[in-house]
Amino acid sequence: MKTEYAHLFKSIWAICWKDIKLYYAKGPIVVTGVLFPIFLWIAFYAGKGLELKEGLASLITLTLFFTASSVTPIIAPWETRQRTLEMILSRPITVKVMLIGDILASTIFGLIFVIPIIFVGVILNTMPGNIFLAIIIVLLTAVGLSSLGIMFSALPTDTPADAVLLSSSIKLPLIFVSGVLVPITQLPPWILPITLLSPITYPTDFLRILYLGNGFLPSYLDIAVTALFTLAFTILALKLHEKTILIRLQRR
Amino acid sequence: MDAIEAMGLHKKFGNVTAVDGVSFKVKEGEIFGFLGPNGAGKTTTIRMLTGLLKPDKGYATIMGYKIMEEPIKAKMLMGVVPEEANPYPDLSSWDNLMLVGRLYGLSKRDIKDKASRLLKLLGLYEIMERRAKNLSKGQRQKLLVAMALINDPKVLFLDEPTGGLDVLNARKIRELILELKKDGVTVFLTTHNVEEAGALCDRIAIIKDGRIVELGSPEELKIKVGAYTYVAITFNRAIEEDELSFLKSCEYKLQASRLLIVCARPVEAIVKAIEFAKAVGLEILDIRISSPTLEDVFVKVAKGE
Repeated sequence: MKTEYAHLFKSIWAICWKDIKLYYAKGPIVVTGVLFPIFLWIAFYAGKGLELKEGLASLITLTLFFTASSVTPIIAPWETRQRTLEMILSRPITVKVMLIGDILASTIFGLIFVIPIIFVGVILNTMPGNIFLAIIIVLLTAVGLSSLGIMFSALPTDTPADAVLLSSSIKLPLIFVSGVLVPITQLPPWILPITLLSPITYPTDFLRILYLGNGFLPSYLDIAVTALFTLAFTILALKLHEKTILIRLQRR
Repeated sequence: MDAIEAMGLHKKFGNVTAVDGVSFKVKEGEIFGFLGPNGAGKTTTIRMLTGLLKPDKGYATIMGYKIMEEPIKAKMLMGVVPEEANPYPDLSSWDNLMLVGRLYGLSKRDIKDKASRLLKLLGLYEIMERRAKNLSKGQRQKLLVAMALINDPKVLFLDEPTGGLDVLNARKIRELILELKKDGVTVFLTTHNVEEAGALCDRIAIIKDGRIVELGSPEELKIKVGAYTYVAITFNRAIEEDELSFLKSCEYKLQASRLLIVCARPVEAIVKAIEFAKAVGLEILDIRISSPTLEDVFVKVAKGE
């Protein structure tokens, strides 16, 4: 049993190492992970005379959003096209292990970009109210968004653009309705039902509580719903891929 | 123990039956050929044997482990070169081997030793840092074989391992297959090169329309299918068609002084030809017998004859 677990962790790490080497350690991906959230954040916050902590919660969520879910939608279609998917699945790993390795790589990628932001905040004397809860929410959000990306890649296509299109058409509107760029209290009331359906509403709100001391929803609800979304996305990602992986293999 | 056992494998895609009750056993250390025309169900069968596809009915075992119930245990004992698969194009040969070695749970030291040995064996050692996308097709194929051997498998699945390779690379892979057999490795080979299968395999199964239609050693198949032998006899002068009434039961072709007979019993045909030559005062200059090839067997089976 011990050997089986050791093999499981080794396999997950091997897939994660492969992903980092092949997909994440690339100049354009790194630049996108830095530039996209910062420019979007500046566009909304600059010149408004707000305090740093006002926007830190949003910048953390935005960075996670643009890093943790950026590459995962293309991995499966790309590997189908490259004819590497069947090769890797012929090894002693399951589809689940492969996807967990993908989620781990994406989570690490997201954390690499978020940790410096939190540190810069600390240096500038802007600490989250509870550092332990901040780590928990950042971790949960990173895993959840990575799994969301994996869900999009369950579309049984060998054209990465198909998965990116699906992913972008769902992800981009979420930024504007989740209280990331505009606080929920300032959003039109008719948007509220959509806001409450968005998975990034809750970590953003929770981080606002941690940095500003107030939020739109109770903190326990934020953390519970974030955990539920993460769990649901992870389970759905694994289940959807198990259903579509054979269709994907037959396409090649 | 059988290295591979397929028992009543069935697979349907929509209304199309790809594999329809395929059963066979492969002994340890055997090279087993799996032949069939395009779309016969070869790749679907291999995918079920290697755990990539779940059969609708039936089961497969690898070294006694049911592939769908204990996939990791079964896969730990096997190596696979899937049809038209690629190593990761943006990883070097070395990194591709490191990745696969890790998936088999090998230690770093073990992977390094085995990767070096395999790269040297397959003539890739000098270019191990080159990205797979910059390798030739032959080098990529050899890298895939190396990746399939990193865990010292007991069972090796090779789906078209020499397809599209030049003569030298194809020969290198064939030599390696024979070396592996000497080491007791069981090889399951699918190929379109029928003569290659005939030269390498201990037994061959021919699949058609999802069913195994013939199974046996290459020699057994030739006899079983009744593939014809060609006898070419050259006389010292041209002969006429109406002189050949003694060949009524055989198929033949006459080209002036050369007679080509296609028959199941070559000795009988030769004796009749000699008797005929004596009777009409002809001299026989040459007799050549061509044994039936496995390709002849394959063509007969594929045509449903």
